[in-house]
Amino acid sequence: MVNYPYPNMVKAVACLLFVGGLSAQTPEQERRLERLEQRMRQLDPSFTTSSAQSWEERLAALELKLDSALAGARPSDPKPQMPAPEPAKEPLSLLSVKGDYESSNDSESRMPVAGYMEAHFNKNRGEPGQADFHRFVLLFGHNFSRRIKFWSELEVEHSFVEGGEESGEVALEQAYLDFLIKPYFNLRAGMLLTPVGLVNERHEPPSFNGVERPFVETFIIPTTWRELGFGVTGDLGHGIRYRGYLMSALNATRLSAEDGLSASRTSGFEASFRNPAKALRVEYAGVRRLVLGFSGYTGRTGNQFLSVNPAVSIASVDGRYSYRRFDLRGLFANTWISQAGKLNMVLQRQNGLGANVGSEMRGAYIEPAIHVMPRKVRQDLILFTRYERFNTQHRMPAGFLPLAEFDRKALVTGFTFKPHADIALKFDYVLNYNASSVIRPLNALNLGLGWWF
Amino acid sequence: MRNFSLCLVGLLCAGAFAEENKDAPARTIAITAERFVFTPSKIRMKQGEVVEFILTSEDTEHGFLVPGTSIHAIIPPRGKGELRVKFVANRKGEFFFECSRACGAGHNLMRGSIVVR
Repeated sequence: MVNYPYPNMVKAVACLLFVGGLSAQTPEQERRLERLEQRMRQLDPSFTTSSAQSWEERLAALELKLDSALAGARPSDPKPQMPAPEPAKEPLSLLSVKGDYESSNDSESRMPVAGYMEAHFNKNRGEPGQADFHRFVLLFGHNFSRRIKFWSELEVEHSFVEGGEESGEVALEQAYLDFLIKPYFNLRAGMLLTPVGLVNERHEPPSFNGVERPFVETFIIPTTWRELGFGVTGDLGHGIRYRGYLMSALNATRLSAEDGLSASRTSGFEASFRNPAKALRVEYAGVRRLVLGFSGYTGRTGNQFLSVNPAVSIASVDGRYSYRRFDLRGLFANTWISQAGKLNMVLQRQNGLGANVGSEMRGAYIEPAIHVMPRKVRQDLILFTRYERFNTQHRMPAGFLPLAEFDRKALVTGFTFKPHADIALKFDYVLNYNASSVIRPLNALNLGLGWWF
Repeated sequence: MRNFSLCLVGLLCAGAFAEENKDAPARTIAITAERFVFTPSKIRMKQGEVVEFILTSEDTEHGFLVPGTSIHAIIPPRGKGELRVKFVANRKGEFFFECSRACGAGHNLMRGSIVVR
């Protein structure tokens, strides 16, 4: 849109010229022409006409002046522009995004780091309750490129750490590099989570029911179990994924009937790589809301001993499935410890106490759960019960007898309330049983608050 | 006259179908995002095909990013709806998509691929 400097006058002159061209002047037209000439002179004093001139001559002079005024006011012709180069088409062109809640009131603002926390209150029957800020974990990552990525997890346990004191711990749970090559073949190296079981690699508090992690995934499969190592990962298509690592081995000096494998993790501290352990997990996630996993682990654990070098091997099968409001998850794990008899003798000589390590440990659990509220509701209330059976002395080496107190069962019943998908308020009551008629385990009440961000 | 009528009907039908293809709804594919897996994780489509992904989360907030393209959006957490991403495949090849929101211990491997043939 071009703006002329004298818009009204231009219109009037144009009109007059048009009318003048059609008919002879009248006194009224004569007056209007004079007024226009005066106004033109106000704008340009050099403009002159004379009453001696004819009507046509005065109109022609005014027309000429008007043309020159318009010419002066006309903006210069725009510079010819080169047509913008057509952007190269992306391999996949976005057409629309709907339901993107980033711009809605529901969206969250994310910190540059992620993390999870959980605080617990545990009360064994007949004992005073204890509150504990169990885990404060921060996760950091960095992408060196699209194909080289770093990920880490740093944890403070039990909220307080003091040098030389029995209190909490600061632990590096993960710190590794991923070299992403092909969907079906990638490399990973660093401090890795051992790919065994359901919870070890998926341990964010809102991800599982119950204040404490399952007993089977504490004693038979340790969690959080991390070791130094390297290996391969990939997605073979059709929902089949795998992870296979060579890792630092467990430490046999810390095996026991009481704690099973849980204390034997090196967690990357002075971890022996003389006989690296092999760990493999294959998962099938080809059907929506169904994940099946098969895990295997084997490694020599006697790096601290000269006379005995027992192998610990684990095989486990697990699964998770959700159908409408129902969830079901379960796991079975079996652990074999070779040379358990010799190991017990060495540990007895070393510690003065018999560790009574079994040659085979076994555990399983099943956990049905129901979401009380429909899926579309923002809050979630999950009622669950988990039945666990585990025995750290399922089989004993020759010359050793199992103790009935280590043949254990537990029934954990409770709820998880999620006011937000990433916040879990948990309650459960644990009925503990064992096969002993002498040593009775205590039932326990647990409350927990955990969140992910 | 009969031939002319047939031709006219044919042209109208062809025009109607052409219009229908232009505005045809994209093929929709439901994808579930969950720590640390997309299901399905491998999507096959044809060059020039318009596809709409309907992404829902089973747990936390996840991202949906196709590196090298402008496709990047957030999958809301469970109970907060879904994400619909519609796009057209211009070129043949295999393209990755990945979670762009830190979602937990296995975040780096939460990936999938789109195979365009």
